[in-house]
Amino acid sequence: MIYLDHAAATPVSKKVLEAMEPYFLHDFFNPSAAYLPAKKVNANYEAAKGTIAHAIGAKASDLIITAGATEANNLAFTSIDCVDSRQSLSGQSIKSVLYLETEHDSVRRVAEQYGGEAIRVLPNGLIDLNDFKDKLTDDVELVSVALANNELGTIQPLAEIAAIIREAKLDRLKRGIKTQLLLHSDASQALNLLDINVARLGIDLLTINSAKVYGPKGVGALYVSHEARLKPLTLGGGQENGFRSGTENVPGVIGFAKALEIAKKHLTSNRKKYTTWRKILLAELQGYELVNKKHMLDNFIVLCYNGIDAERLIFLLEEKQVYVSTGAACAASKGVRSHVLKAIGLTDEQIAGSLRISLGETNDESQIHEVARIMNEVVATERKRLENNE
Amino acid sequence: MSKTKVFVGMSGGVDSSVSAMLLKEQGYDVVGVYMKNWSQDLPGMKCPWAEDLADAKRVAVRLGIDFEVWDFENEYREKVVEYMLREFKAGNTPNPDIMCNQEIKFKLFYERAMKQGADFIATGHYARVGESNPSTLEPTRPPVFTGGSFSDGELRRPGHVRESDRLDSPALLRAVDENKDQTYFLYRISNEALVHTIFPIGEMTKPEVKKLAEENSLHNAYKRESMGVCFVGEVGMKDFLKEYIDIQPGEIREIESGEILGYHEGTVFYTIGQRHGLYLNGEKGKVNDGLPYYIVKKDMKNNIIYVSKDLNNENLWVNELELRDVFLRTNSAFDSCLVRMRHRAPLIPARFDGKKLTFANEIKRPASGQSAVLYNEKECLGGGIIA
Repeated sequence: MIYLDHAAATPVSKKVLEAMEPYFLHDFFNPSAAYLPAKKVNANYEAAKGTIAHAIGAKASDLIITAGATEANNLAFTSIDCVDSRQSLSGQSIKSVLYLETEHDSVRRVAEQYGGEAIRVLPNGLIDLNDFKDKLTDDVELVSVALANNELGTIQPLAEIAAIIREAKLDRLKRGIKTQLLLHSDASQALNLLDINVARLGIDLLTINSAKVYGPKGVGALYVSHEARLKPLTLGGGQENGFRSGTENVPGVIGFAKALEIAKKHLTSNRKKYTTWRKILLAELQGYELVNKKHMLDNFIVLCYNGIDAERLIFLLEEKQVYVSTGAACAASKGVRSHVLKAIGLTDEQIAGSLRISLGETNDESQIHEVARIMNEVVATERKRLENNE
Repeated sequence: MSKTKVFVGMSGGVDSSVSAMLLKEQGYDVVGVYMKNWSQDLPGMKCPWAEDLADAKRVAVRLGIDFEVWDFENEYREKVVEYMLREFKAGNTPNPDIMCNQEIKFKLFYERAMKQGADFIATGHYARVGESNPSTLEPTRPPVFTGGSFSDGELRRPGHVRESDRLDSPALLRAVDENKDQTYFLYRISNEALVHTIFPIGEMTKPEVKKLAEENSLHNAYKRESMGVCFVGEVGMKDFLKEYIDIQPGEIREIESGEILGYHEGTVFYTIGQRHGLYLNGEKGKVNDGLPYYIVKKDMKNNIIYVSKDLNNENLWVNELELRDVFLRTNSAFDSCLVRMRHRAPLIPARFDGKKLTFANEIKRPASGQSAVLYNEKECLGGGIIA
């Protein structure tokens, strides 16, 4: 098997699994219980949260553990509910949310509920800063821009966006306008590939996810700065500082922390490795057009085979145990054309011909050569079939 | 000279997958088509259309055939769903699959395929096409090109279909696998479509089809069969209807005593003969004596459902059935036939005068709106909707 879809899911690494195991079998106690073994579990849980927070330059108390990135994204948007809901004269709530048009559905769907407006991207996938500035009116309370896009791997200039927001805030204060203005970013795809520091980036809310960094699925977190206030989505025992009730997922958090520890350690060497493999692959593959040329994560390659239906390639590659995707796994299963590829100006035909390859820890260099060979072969077969049809 | 072109409807299920494979093996120029008839999720029910589509496409790619998605959602809603809702509201129990075959698969799909250059369409139904010939009733299939010669032995160039290959008055014949025969759902399809239809697995049994799928590692051999309003099975029908029809609480009365035994959510959601899903008062010894109550009568006007424990209740049994919207597949007159009231139900002998069915013995009354489908030994003669 050659797995090239690390942007969709990553296997749990052995060390992570080993770290988690005791918390299923022996240290299973409810962290809120009174007896000593439970207190110990609680301490380890908090320490693990500290490790996770540390990886993004934050403190354990800044984190709310969730069941993944989708929940964290949903929770981030409750920051709008916490301020007085203002109504326009017509009784409709004021549009107060901006989001990048290439955001993942777990941001788009929520933003739409809040009457959100989309910020355009340029053909290179980067945020159109002029469009952003135009749309950043005094009503805007929250701006959501993913650190790295999940279909293209495009890295957005968050520091620059944060600077614009800081300026706007200042200007609002000068004019006596009290409306809050927060910056949220979904960093799920970038967590193990970029050095992230929330303070340096100037972010108020940051979504992170264990499942994309060789940790267990169903664990994520939302970083919340002191600027932002949230409204809990679940009520109950008051865990996670009251913002996310429910017994703590101790093994999940322990595993997430371990995965991040490992990711941090290998960040630089992994980036180099992926860059090399990417070069090899792009050199050995034939007859494609590269879609994401610049400003992308090192492990993302988006190719377009003109005139070919990439979905057919997926099934042909599947027969050879090579696994790639056409885009976001959730979008693919709904059978809809990628809104991301459309946003960067690809034609329907180009979108249909696009494949996403995301490299990762299950790969080695020999696989990269092997994949290039198999893909060339499969594409040639498909082209020949199409010619015979003519 | 191009090969004979066949558009095959592919649902992602094993039957249509094997059908496509057989056509390809037999040398046809095959195009797989996924008909997108419904994609909407309902509360608590996820429509699996995207998965079905992916499964169908995977098979098409494995077979190396072209694959297209044809969107009939608007037409399906208009012709099938609206018909269904209309019938339910009138107190009937319609069969959406029959309507889907009549209006979508063997009409819109057929017409579009022909427009795109098809010689034939094909589906994974268990049914056969033959020449209408009451004396022999042996099926004659369109000749098949098997690399060099046609299956009827004559040497011709592939792709050349003679006019005489087209049957003038085609007969819809029951499948070889009596247990799987699906002609019940097909009795209303047009002759024009039927002449141009191939049922590749009509001569096979289900186990044979499954085996073939496994041998050829058609990935979806494990899959459940595709259902009517795709994901709405019989169990889901009430939930489906509730999306469109408001609940309207009403009384459930015992037909013999007139006594109120409980309450229901609206007469339209219930079917004559039904005995599940009734909210009855649990008065000991009366309702809960272990014997089920059956719905024997629906008073649509007053929104009352009548039930009875008496399996011999006169409302449950008939020896005559009036049919409406009769659709006959044969020109030859007949006055006796075999009747099937449900898919896979036994064939019952009856007399037919063109409108009314008469049975020798009383039968359990089928729900109005269901179809009674008529047969002789092997052939589907048509049918009608039970009034």
